[in-house]
Amino acid sequence: MAIFSLWVINKAGGLVYQRNFADGLAQLTSNEYLVLAGTLHGIHAITSRLSPIGSSSGAQVIEGDSFKMTILLTATGTKFVLLTSPGETTAELVLQKAFEAYADAVMKNPFHTPEMPIRSDGFESRINTLIGSGQP
Amino acid sequence: MTIYSFYIYDRHCACVYYQDWHRTKRPRPAVEGGILNAVSRAVAPQAADTSAANLSTSSTTAEDSSSIFTQAALDTPRSNALTFDEEAKLVYGVILSLRNMIKKLSGRDEQFTSYRTSAYKLHFYGTISGYKFVMLSDPSTDGLRFVLRQIYNGPFVDYVVRNPLVPMDSREQGVDNDYFRASVDRLVRGLVVFD
Repeated sequence: MAIFSLWVINKAGGLVYQRNFADGLAQLTSNEYLVLAGTLHGIHAITSRLSPIGSSSGAQVIEGDSFKMTILLTATGTKFVLLTSPGETTAELVLQKAFEAYADAVMKNPFHTPEMPIRSDGFESRINTLIGSGQP
Repeated sequence: MTIYSFYIYDRHCACVYYQDWHRTKRPRPAVEGGILNAVSRAVAPQAADTSAANLSTSSTTAEDSSSIFTQAALDTPRSNALTFDEEAKLVYGVILSLRNMIKKLSGRDEQFTSYRTSAYKLHFYGTISGYKFVMLSDPSTDGLRFVLRQIYNGPFVDYVVRNPLVPMDSREQGVDNDYFRASVDRLVRGLVVFD
């Protein structure tokens, strides 16, 4: 059971926050993470159109052999993505808590520009207590 | 719990086989030239009048009429329904992008296995020879890769690979044939998750 990484993707598909917590996945450059977040944003939109039975949400959980990505889409279009080991059962809960931390420490911060990268010590410390500091 | 649809793609990115079961939102028939021949009769390109003719000939018995009407209502092309060739391309695009993303993130030669939305779950199995098996099911279903593997080991090898009448890798022809279709149908209908 491990939490590898947390991403926050804004409503335009830009990666505004990315942090690794545990080893186990490849170390990528920030540019590569940006590309992956953009790809995920596009895939998320397409998956909601492929439903065989009427309307559907976008992808909520994407699974590979050794990890899974859990995606929380908020009402404002911001996506929270958590990369965990496949057996992690608390991923949805952690995402919900991360969204709360985002609402409190980022959206209420008068110095934060919406849709721009998150640089907030308050948010960092909330995430630290939520997930653990891990490796930066 | 149920199974909705099943696709096979070859290594040239083309959809070579399609079958569906409990879909309530069917794709519209493909446009002419949009898909290969022999993929599925249900979604093959057709003129609008032939589908109407099929409906009118099949609605001869009175007791069937209610089910025919619901069927007709389901089959009515709605503007928001995709045509089959568009849908097949989107499915392929999604699995290819996700496969690349998973590979990149893991840093290993790791397979993408499935994703889930609120309405369905997509399962993926890729063979060494580049064939990609994709199945859409109910979101609460567990992994169905073993079923895709069974289809590959059983019906696919028996009725496609060993079938001299099926040109594999032709880029012009799908792999649809009656034996394969019946065999896949039997296998899927026999599953515990199918009802």
